[in-house]
Amino acid sequence: MTSSESDVALMARVRDGDTDAFRELIERHQRAVINTIQRAIGDAWEAEDLAQRVFLQVYRSAKRYQPTAKFTTWLFTITRNTILNEHRRRARHAAVSLDALQSPREAADGSGWQAPDTTTPNPAQEVAERELQEKIMETVQQLPEAQRTAVILCRYEGLSYEEIAQVLGCSVSATKSLLHRARLTLKEKLRGYY
Amino acid sequence: MSCQTIKGQFDERLDGRLSDPQQAAFDEHVATCADCRREWEAYAGAWEVMERHTGIEPSFGFVERTLRRLDEPPTAVRTRFWQPAFRWAALATAVIALAVGAWIGRERVLEQRRVEIYASVRQAEYLEDFDVIANLDQLKEGNKL
Repeated sequence: MTSSESDVALMARVRDGDTDAFRELIERHQRAVINTIQRAIGDAWEAEDLAQRVFLQVYRSAKRYQPTAKFTTWLFTITRNTILNEHRRRARHAAVSLDALQSPREAADGSGWQAPDTTTPNPAQEVAERELQEKIMETVQQLPEAQRTAVILCRYEGLSYEEIAQVLGCSVSATKSLLHRARLTLKEKLRGYY
Repeated sequence: MSCQTIKGQFDERLDGRLSDPQQAAFDEHVATCADCRREWEAYAGAWEVMERHTGIEPSFGFVERTLRRLDEPPTAVRTRFWQPAFRWAALATAVIALAVGAWIGRERVLEQRRVEIYASVRQAEYLEDFDVIANLDQLKEGNKL
């Protein structure tokens, strides 16, 4: 196995049950999937569990995978469906995860709430940066689902309008409209931070 | 280039989808138009700020934990007990509604035909009566009555 193999080539091997190829795919895309989920649901702990489900779905669906589109487009489609299922589950149970109240950095550390580090040269700057991170997350969370997904895939994963349209199941012009409306909201909500 | 056109190109400019000449014209306009520049800087500034959300790193062992789950059975899709019954009931209702609608429609068509036939018969009877009345004098002359 070489790390220069394309995703499509790796998926062809996964289709034959090659777990080494599957490991390579996970290593390549784990950060993107985990962060897409974490930005969409605002919960770092749950994000990893859901990301595992995404990759398991990829493995189980390998025989149905057709390389007519980019692998990442297919991967993010599965990711989005997993996120939607999670939203429905939360709506049914209407429970608030305590972990969702933690900041992303705290949750990823696996530790509880951490006091600001007063030993760093500029603790005020660190506090300000943390506040910005939380403000960005809060703003993204408040967007309607389709706009939120479009923003996350465009801003953080670099997908094109065409790829985002495939993930969302809509037209390119509809995707552009979603992004435009989301950006207008971001402009208002993040005023003072730019 | 008008301000309205420029503002309509904000997304393409932000996402690098303008051609080189278009981008040059966009940048030139924004440099000279204070209103468009202000709008553009706010639009692009908010988008730029988003980049500062750094995200999280996968926790140690994520890949291994995922691979260990390969032998797990797929999570069964939980369905509520009434869902299949509800689907069948809805289907049966739709079929019955179609059948009743078709029967009512057929009855109306048959009724209309009965009315038309009855009207035709009555009309024929009237015509027959008129014929008798019209020929009554002739019949009298012929002592048929």
